[in-house]
Amino acid sequence: MQLKRSPQSVLQALASGALALPGLAHGDTPETRWTGDYGYSLYSEDKVPASKLAAGSRRRYAIDTHQFRLEGPLSGRLGMGLDFAYESMSGATPWYVEEDADGKPIQVMSGATIEEERVDTQLRGSYYFDNARAGAGAGFSLENDYTAVNGALEGETHFFEKNSTLGAGFGFSYDMLEPTDAQDFDRPQSETKQSLSAFAAWSQVLGRSSTLQTSLAYQHQRGYLSDPYKLVSAGVDGNVRDDRPEQRNQATWLTRYRKHFSATGSTLHLDYRFYVDDWEINSHTLELAIHQAIWEAFRIVPSLRYYSQSAADFYGPFFDAAPAGPASSDYRLSPFGAFSWRIKGETRLRGWPFGMDWSASVAYERYISSGDLALGKVSVASPGLVSFDLVSVGLGGRF
Amino acid sequence: MRAAALLAALGLCAPLAGCASVKPWERETLALEEMAFEPDPLEAAQRAHVYWSKEASLPGGGTGGGGCGCN
Repeated sequence: MQLKRSPQSVLQALASGALALPGLAHGDTPETRWTGDYGYSLYSEDKVPASKLAAGSRRRYAIDTHQFRLEGPLSGRLGMGLDFAYESMSGATPWYVEEDADGKPIQVMSGATIEEERVDTQLRGSYYFDNARAGAGAGFSLENDYTAVNGALEGETHFFEKNSTLGAGFGFSYDMLEPTDAQDFDRPQSETKQSLSAFAAWSQVLGRSSTLQTSLAYQHQRGYLSDPYKLVSAGVDGNVRDDRPEQRNQATWLTRYRKHFSATGSTLHLDYRFYVDDWEINSHTLELAIHQAIWEAFRIVPSLRYYSQSAADFYGPFFDAAPAGPASSDYRLSPFGAFSWRIKGETRLRGWPFGMDWSASVAYERYISSGDLALGKVSVASPGLVSFDLVSVGLGGRF
Repeated sequence: MRAAALLAALGLCAPLAGCASVKPWERETLALEEMAFEPDPLEAAQRAHVYWSKEASLPGGGTGGGGCGCN
């Protein structure tokens, strides 16, 4: 099942294309050709170390994802896009955390392997004015225990001979949750969640070979935000439900810089993100990538990413007794830092075969998270922190 | 100098005016695919989706992502 979902799904799909290269490459007209892309990725989490496992299966999640994207012109001023994703997931998940004989937290995993599937579809359209563009989109996501529908409106306009672009958008999502085995495990039978989100972004040409974009995004959620599949160890009171506040306000500031070095044929990507919410979590993310041309038709893209977050104010690995207010032992709400490195190879063929432009890529990423990697001192790290491998391949054609 | 330009872009360009006046015929480099903020939207969506499901933070505005929050 999905425990977190955002109306930004469609909003971001709209905006990612819209703000990708504002006012620079294609002007205010839709693409004149259709583009089709396929992506496959294999996500595989490391096994839980035996020293951190109290009970349950060591084998964590593995996810196969197939993505399809089709976009192109409907007329001179109208363009459309369609995204489809299919995921199949299997493995055990963190259930709750216990205290061992030495007072250290150890993880209890779900015992049985969970098998799940998810389908996600997003449809979007854009209308191009002389110096602006407006877009709308809608989508849905389906799992056996989770249904979500979302929609968004967004747009952008240019200033200063298209050296500057202002974009903004709004989105919503309505999620319905019906946990499996609700009666057997004292889970809620049916819950809902509503989300509203908005963003504004300013993109600026800094010179002939450098650009910068800075954006603010905000999301308000209300409803059932807890995880029905997790428990909290509450000492003398046994295990109690994961219980989170019924509202959450989140904000993100993201700034991205691009610089091309013609002498070496390399392009620098530098991104920084600051995040804060009213669950008292804040985070910093820094990502660096170099797009390096090797030959005319081949590039490699090494990249590094660092992430650090603080804990939610109601997070605890375990409690002495049932807390009077919200409480969660979800490792995703714990304090930690993460580091990942990635390498990607990409090739492009122009006009061949079949008179089409082609692209193909393969990438590998390694992600590790730990309390020791956090910016601040973490006295007790969650035993459920995850490390994973992500292998991706992509194939695209323009016709 | 470059740092000053970056700071100017962050703090001053938006409310006042463009930092540079690059003409359309001077944008060959800017039009390179790798100069896009997201050269590969499909890949960006998948990666943001993975991070988002394993971390507490919201992806930035205008970035790909959303979707799975798998356990």
